[in-house]
Formats: sequence, C-alpha cells, structure tokens
Amino acid sequence: MTPNLVILCAAGMLVTAYLMVGQKSLFTTIRLYAAQSLLLATVAVVMAISDARPHLFVMATMTTVLKGFLIPMFLMRVVDRIGIHREIEPFLNVPTSLLACLGLTVVGYRVSTGFPEGTVGVTHHVLGVGLSTLMIGLFLMVTRKKAITQILALLTVENAIFLVALGITSGMPLVVELGIFFDVILAVLVLGVLVRRIVDRFESMDISRLSKLKG
Amino acid sequence: MTVLVWMLVAPLVTALLGAVRAPRRVTEAIIAGGLSVTFVLCLATASQFLDGAIPSAFDDALRVDGLSALVLVLCGFTGLVSGTYGIGYLRRNEARGLVTPRMRAEFAVLIPVYVFAMLLVAVSNNLGVLWIAVELTTLASVFLVAFHNRDTSLEAAWKFLMLGSLGLGFALLGTVLLFASAQGALGEELSALNWTRFMELAPRLHPFTLRLGVVFALIGYGTKAGLAPMHTWKPDAYREAPSPAGVLMAVGMLNGALYCLLRVHLISTAALGADFSGGLLLALGLLSVLVAMPFILIQWDLKRLLAYSSIEHVGIMAVGVGLGGETAVFGALLHMTYHTFAKPVAFFSAGTLAQLHQSSDFEAIGPGTLGRAPVASALLVLAAMFVTGSPPFSLFFSEMMILRGGFLGSHVVATSVFLAALIILFCGFAYQIGRLVLGPQPHDRPGPAPETLDLGLGVTLVAAVIAVVSTFYLPGPMIALIHAAARVVSGGA
Repeated sequence: MTPNLVILCAAGMLVTAYLMVGQKSLFTTIRLYAAQSLLLATVAVVMAISDARPHLFVMATMTTVLKGFLIPMFLMRVVDRIGIHREIEPFLNVPTSLLACLGLTVVGYRVSTGFPEGTVGVTHHVLGVGLSTLMIGLFLMVTRKKAITQILALLTVENAIFLVALGITSGMPLVVELGIFFDVILAVLVLGVLVRRIVDRFESMDISRLSKLKG
Repeated sequence: MTVLVWMLVAPLVTALLGAVRAPRRVTEAIIAGGLSVTFVLCLATASQFLDGAIPSAFDDALRVDGLSALVLVLCGFTGLVSGTYGIGYLRRNEARGLVTPRMRAEFAVLIPVYVFAMLLVAVSNNLGVLWIAVELTTLASVFLVAFHNRDTSLEAAWKFLMLGSLGLGFALLGTVLLFASAQGALGEELSALNWTRFMELAPRLHPFTLRLGVVFALIGYGTKAGLAPMHTWKPDAYREAPSPAGVLMAVGMLNGALYCLLRVHLISTAALGADFSGGLLLALGLLSVLVAMPFILIQWDLKRLLAYSSIEHVGIMAVGVGLGGETAVFGALLHMTYHTFAKPVAFFSAGTLAQLHQSSDFEAIGPGTLGRAPVASALLVLAAMFVTGSPPFSLFFSEMMILRGGFLGSHVVATSVFLAALIILFCGFAYQIGRLVLGPQPHDRPGPAPETLDLGLGVTLVAAVIAVVSTFYLPGPMIALIHAAARVVSGGA
C-alpha cells in the first residue's frame, strides 16, 4: 500500500510537469506547480510514516506552506499586477515539446538504474521520476519566453532535486534543508522584484526582448 | 564567541547599520570602518591558524584549514578595497546627480552582505552550508548588477540570476548525490555533510553515485566561477555592475567558487584518484582560456574585456589544479593570490575611465586617454601588464610555475596548447589597451570632465602599490598560508 502511494504521488509530479509543458495560461501553470509541490509533500509524509523519520514531517510542512501556497500566491499576485496572463508561442511548439519530454523521461529512467538502490522497487520509480522531472524543468527553461514561466521551470527543477534527495537519501540533514528553503524563498522574492522592474522598463515580460548584450 | 564567529558577525552588523538612514558621511564611515574591522578579524583568524590551532565552530560546520585561511584573507582584502573604492565611486556619481538615497542605502547593505557571504563560503567545512553561502552571494549580487536600473542592467541581472540559479541547482543536486554516495554511513546530523567526514569515508563512497555527484557539483560551482561553457553571464554582469561590485565578483566570488571546486575535487581525488575530477577541471579550464581568446581580440567594451580576462584567469587556475602535482597546484594558489592583488587595479582604473566618459564602450572612451586622464590611464596600463602576465610582474611567475608543473607532468600536449593560448591572449589584451590609451585625441566630440585626484583614484593608487609590492615581497605569514593551502590541496594535513 505505502510503496504504491509513493509511486502514485511521484508519477503525479511527472504528470504535472508534462501538463506544464502543454500549458499556456500562466495561472494554470502556477496552479500546476502548487499541485506538484503538494504531491512532493505527500511523498515526504508517507516516507516519514513508513520509515519512521520524523524530521521529514518538518520538510513536508515547509513544502506545503511555502511551495504549495505562499510562493504560488506571490507569483499569482505578480502576474495579476502586470496583467499578462498567457504565454506566447514558445520556441518549440507543444507537440514537439511533449515528444522531446518523452525522450527525456526515457533517459531519466535509464540513468536511475546506475544507482545502487535504483534498479528495483520504489526507489527506481522515485529516482526515475525525479531525474525526468529535472530534465523537463531544464527543457521548459530553455524553450519558454515569459519570465514567470522561467521562474516556474527553475522551481520545478528544485522540486525534482528534492524528490531525488528523498528517493536516494530520505532527506538531507534538517538544518541544511531549512537553509535551502530559506534561500529558495529569497530567490523567488528577488526574481519577483526583478520581473516587476523588467515589466516597468520594457512594458513586457518577454525575455526574448532582453537581447541587447552580445559579444 | 571565537574570533571566527566575530569575523562573520562584523559584516552583518555593518550591513544592519548601513540600512539605517543616516547622513552620507556617517554611512561612509560605517562601510569603511566595518569592512576594516572585518579584514582585521580575518587576519586574526588566519594568524590563529598559523599558530597551530584549527579554529572551528558549530560542530565543525565552520572550520579553518590552510585553504580556508588563504581564501579568507584574500576575500577580506577584496571586501575592504572594493568597499572603500565604492565610497569614492558613489561620491563621483553623486556629483553628477545619478545617486538616489535608495541606491546609497542599497549599496551600504549589499556590499557588507556580499562580504559576509563570501567569508562564509571561505570557512564552510559543511557542504550544505557551503551551498547556502554561495546562493547568498548570488542573491546579493543580483541587485548590484541591476544597480543602475538601465535596460541593459536588467537584462544582465536576469541572465545572471537565471544561469546562476540553474548552476546552483546543479550544485545542490551534486551535493545530494555526494551525500547519497555514502549510503547512510554519514548519519543524519548537521555534521553528516562535513567535508572532513567525506574525506574520512572516501574509500567507501559508492563510485557511480559519486561520479555523477562530482560532475554535477563541478558544473554547478563552475558556473559561479565562470568556467566555459557556463561563462556567458560574466561579460554582461561585469559590464553592468558598478566597478566596486565588479571586483567583488571578479575576485571574491571567483576565489570562493574556486574554493568550492577544490573541496569537491579533493573528495573525488580521495575516492576515485586524481584523474577523474582533475581531468574535468583541466578540460574546463583549457576551454575557458580558449573561449576567452577570440572575444578578447574582437572586444568593443572595456569592462567586457576585463570579464573575458577574468574567464581566462579562472581557466588558468583550473588548469593549474587540473594538471596536478605539487608545482602546478602551488602555482595555481599563487596565481589566485597575485590575481587578487592585481585585478582590483584593473577594475578601478577602468571604472574611473568609464565614469569620466559615462560609458565603457571603446568608441566612447578612446583613443588617446593618456592625454585626458593620465593617472587612470597609466594605472590601467600597469594593470594590463599584470593581468597579461608580463614579466617582471607577479602573475608571470605564477603562470610560469603552472607551465613548469605541466611540462614536468604527463600533460605535455595540454600544456603546450595552454601556453600558445596565453601568448595570443597577451597580444590581444595588449592590443586592446594600446588602442584605447594611445593615439591622437578625437576632435569630433567634447572632452570628458578633467580627472581629479579623488578618493576613488587614491584607492586605485594604493591598490597598485600593493600589487607591485606583492610582486617582489610577500610577507612571511602570507607565504606560509599559501604553503598550507597547497598542502591541503595536494593531499596533506
């Protein structure tokens, strides 16, 4: 029962990553990110109970509060205030992007078999999903033009790293995890401020306009 | 509390005081005073180390060994010179009405915070704390890059933050994988991520996981160091950042990132032998030197020229470490020391020229600056002789030492390519500075404001004196520190 629940939630994270690739509405993308974070928190809770590792509860709570609610709310306010709601045509169209992500998933699963714990069972799936989501996040980052989508791609990569950490080590030392959370929050705030400044200056958050600096 | 902790508290207190709205003179005094105290505390910590103690705090999460002590002193020095030059920089811009109170407050907070993060990097023994500290340097420098709030500064800040965060994501994954490669043998307390614990357990780390972790960590911290091909943020960020912040990034962050690379390299060496991560560092370093070459030859902007020179120098240090062997490693650490003393002169004199002409574009500044701003131009020429590694100046000797180590070792082909690249880079840089400084005065546009001997130029002169003196005479304790760091890197105590 428990392993299945972990695999289900991990797979759910992969699905949200795919939906993000196929999605153009910025609000929906932010909600997908929130859902993904909540699934990550569920994985942590299940592991905390089944492996009796109480410090994972702290991580799950932080993930829920910060990445499930606070960061998405902050990003939605940013989107609301600048009044741009849709991603414009990405550098690669959606069907091609989805096919590319399929390839990345295969690669992710293949790499996960190299780990000592990674050949069978729950860890195999958690690692496979984690590495695939990581690469899909990177892919999103290079193919999208809107500043907000790039931030979400970065946050997806970060979620994927946490999933890998859960799968392979059942979590880093608590103090370090708290520090990482703190830095993530700070990074999102800094990014938000920067997006506002960019929009004020350029009246757009189209990153492909930032192309003056060359050579 | 120990000196080590006070050394970290001092810049934080400076930042807090800097945030208070106060008359200009008071804020200036706080920055200069706070950073001087910090530097003195850095020296005190290093001298504790030289007296045979190993200063440490928080369960060995912070620990000063030879490598830390060297980086610590260099970072403290960088913080002090760029802080004091920064005061002069702001005064000049103020005279032109370009400085808002918000900017002054931003500056007074960000510079000390940056220094704090840099020093935290230098004393981190814990890979988790190390990561957090590096992330802090990134976040502090974003606003310094965006400082002038021009279109191009926002572009540079965005690119810098995106690439920097991505690099740090890789570094975090690398850290997770390194932790995982111990397969639970490290435990779960804070001390589990201690570098010293990794070194004890090195032979028992799982090879596949470790290799993957090392690759990710080297790419991640390599992005911060500006090694090619992850260097693309550097020219933009250096061009847009005010020159004092440029020095913090080009010297402070570079030393810090190199420190991270060395820590990872040492774990990898202890577990897998020197060839794996050493080979990677050698390849990345050589690539950086080669990538810098064409861009220096065709450069159109003075500050971008310095950025490519910084890519070259981090490449040289990575090559030195990658070549391995005592001579090359000692050369790399000596290069780091000399580079720290020489680079500020280049940035400050270039910054002065750029401020006088209100642009760092070659078209706008040159040719013939020697006639208009003789002091700054002469200092720029002197700095160019340093950074191109011309004899008799210091960087020539460290480069020779790395080359010697390379030819004595087994990488003769790589060293030959490296030598050829250095010669071309020398010619390119000299050509660019020559066409800027010499030549007839342009008559088609109004000349800039005349050069005045203000605080900024004064600090540049002092930095130049330090750079020249360091060529011929390094104080005994400094040499002892370099030797101690070299012992750590070539695998002694």
